[in-house]
Amino acid sequence: MQLIAKLGILADAAKYDASCASSGAPKRSSRGRDGLGATDGMGICHSYTPDGRCVSLLKVLLTNFCLYDCQYCVNRRSSNVPRARFSPEEVVRLTLDFYRRNCISGLFLSSGIIRSADYTMEQLNRVARLLREEHGFRGYIHLKTIPDADPLLIEEAGRLADRLSVNVELPTEASLKRLAPEKQAHTIRQAMGVIHQGQQAVANEPRAPRFTPAGQSTQVIVGADATDDRTLLRNAESLYQGYGLKRVYYSAFSPIPDSPNSVPLAAPPLLREHRLYQADFLMRGYGYKAGELLGQAGNLALDIDPKLAWALANREVFPLDLNRAEPALLARIPGIGLRSVQRLVTLRRERRIRYDDLIQLRCVLEKARPFIVTSDYRPAQAELRSGLLRQRLREPQAPVQMGLWA
Amino acid sequence: MIALDCDDLFDTWRKQARVLLGHGIDPADVTWSQGPMDDLLAIATPLPEGPGPFRPRVPAALLAQLEQAARYRGAQRWNLLYEVLWRVAHGDRTAMLAGDRLGSELQRRIKQVSREAHHLHAFVRFVPLPEAVAERLQLDLVAYHEPAHDILESASSHFADRLGRQRWLIATPTDGIRFDGSNLDYRRQCPGEWIDWARHAEDPGAELWRTYYRSTFNPARLNPDALRLHMPGRFWRHLPEGMLIPQLESLARQGKQRDGQALEVGLQRGKRVGR
Repeated sequence: MQLIAKLGILADAAKYDASCASSGAPKRSSRGRDGLGATDGMGICHSYTPDGRCVSLLKVLLTNFCLYDCQYCVNRRSSNVPRARFSPEEVVRLTLDFYRRNCISGLFLSSGIIRSADYTMEQLNRVARLLREEHGFRGYIHLKTIPDADPLLIEEAGRLADRLSVNVELPTEASLKRLAPEKQAHTIRQAMGVIHQGQQAVANEPRAPRFTPAGQSTQVIVGADATDDRTLLRNAESLYQGYGLKRVYYSAFSPIPDSPNSVPLAAPPLLREHRLYQADFLMRGYGYKAGELLGQAGNLALDIDPKLAWALANREVFPLDLNRAEPALLARIPGIGLRSVQRLVTLRRERRIRYDDLIQLRCVLEKARPFIVTSDYRPAQAELRSGLLRQRLREPQAPVQMGLWA
Repeated sequence: MIALDCDDLFDTWRKQARVLLGHGIDPADVTWSQGPMDDLLAIATPLPEGPGPFRPRVPAALLAQLEQAARYRGAQRWNLLYEVLWRVAHGDRTAMLAGDRLGSELQRRIKQVSREAHHLHAFVRFVPLPEAVAERLQLDLVAYHEPAHDILESASSHFADRLGRQRWLIATPTDGIRFDGSNLDYRRQCPGEWIDWARHAEDPGAELWRTYYRSTFNPARLNPDALRLHMPGRFWRHLPEGMLIPQLESLARQGKQRDGQALEVGLQRGKRVGR
């Protein structure tokens, strides 16, 4: 099979992995040296496809032959898809060619499980080793980690790659059993533990060889099973705390060709995915706890964002005086982001904050207005009931088409 | 009214601004010409001589911000900078902060400029030259790019970090830059032959990239607005994948794509894996 045909199949097979970040790598440069590639911590999105997602890395599978039969996966062994396999040299060639063209900032390599977990992991490592050692490639490398692989292989991958990821896919034991019978929650966590230990071993050793400097991430599938957002967010929180994960990715389940009956054949729940990302960002960037964002079982509201939802549920905190409140609290005002908080704090050292300043800062005043006090403004509708406020601030929802087999 | 021309060079503007400030000349009494858009009402009064009596002190950070904002192509390009400088020099630091009306415009320009530098890093597409041509021109990679602001000179060393000893060139409708493996050669006027090489390089190898682009797209998640937000249409014509965008969108819209699979992959024969 020709390289171009393989590329078509193996990129198609890899697209369901949401992660395409190339950020967080240490500073590396090839200026005046043999080899190719640089990283500086900032990711670059080199293109966007019409699904609105960024193309930052060459994201392919080494092979989409797979021994596993995960129901949600287009590459499961019982799936009737065309199959292909790259040689490690072919992946290297594609990576270097696309990199030279400035189409990508690196490689994200994953694979179906062939022969054994160890063998598959060895093959992934081989590609990374060829790139790093034979071709002096200093660009970004993200390797998928095969959960049951030998810890020594995972450690080797950690020294070669900027990022490793082990996918949780389904956060509950019951769902894994039903939809991914060959996978086990405890080996997934074990692999995360191996990576986390590798990171901690070099954490305070500036001279030690780097170990996954851009951290580890994972992905969960949203909407392939009945798991609710509360479970997803709690799971994410425990991963951030327990394994120092950099990112949890949420991937709305897209229907797959030749779909088994065990998974839905509905359009991917994109808005739900979006709300989960917002909530996740609030946990990572703003210090919200999962329990604050979603107290009871169920899903996040779709008609308002989770920050607004929290503010509406906690009216006693507001209105906040922008000239007095702590920065951490300012960041909890709907419509005012972290950057604006910084700018407000700088500005209020010079003079009192006025309502117009928020317009200049391009804050979303529609949302912020009921929750703030400035030197010349106090919300008239502060007494307004949260229910009414919500009616006013909710985003218009596209009508939901009824399922054929609801 | 003093009418000045700084030839769109920051250093020239800076020297002029220092003299103006030293003589206490109000921003309302000075204007910089911008190419053909001369201010017809401005009667040319010459720049005063000598540094002038006023010795302003401005924060070092301001100079860096003004230099960055100076790369912005747009109305009041140089006038705006002088107004900011004037106010800060006279003790009003809010003129450089985003909360102020003027400062907000300054910060917006800085943001646009750094966004445009980022666009350069993201959307430049190099075409590898065939070996014989590369040998003749002493050049491995060429690219043509149309930035909206004057960022080519300041933002291009990024590619020297990425491409090691590769020799490359980026041509634009105005300026150009070339790297010979160790040194950068920036030209305010892009030489005509650079433009020729960059615009007419044949690229049979681009089909691999287009194949990747088609396949990595998930038609079940069609969201063309997000694409346009992050990758404005003005860049498409110099991207090898640009011509695919409308095509892939309309295919997905026609509803042929009920799932995530790429069309051409779905047309191939499948294979179940035995155990």
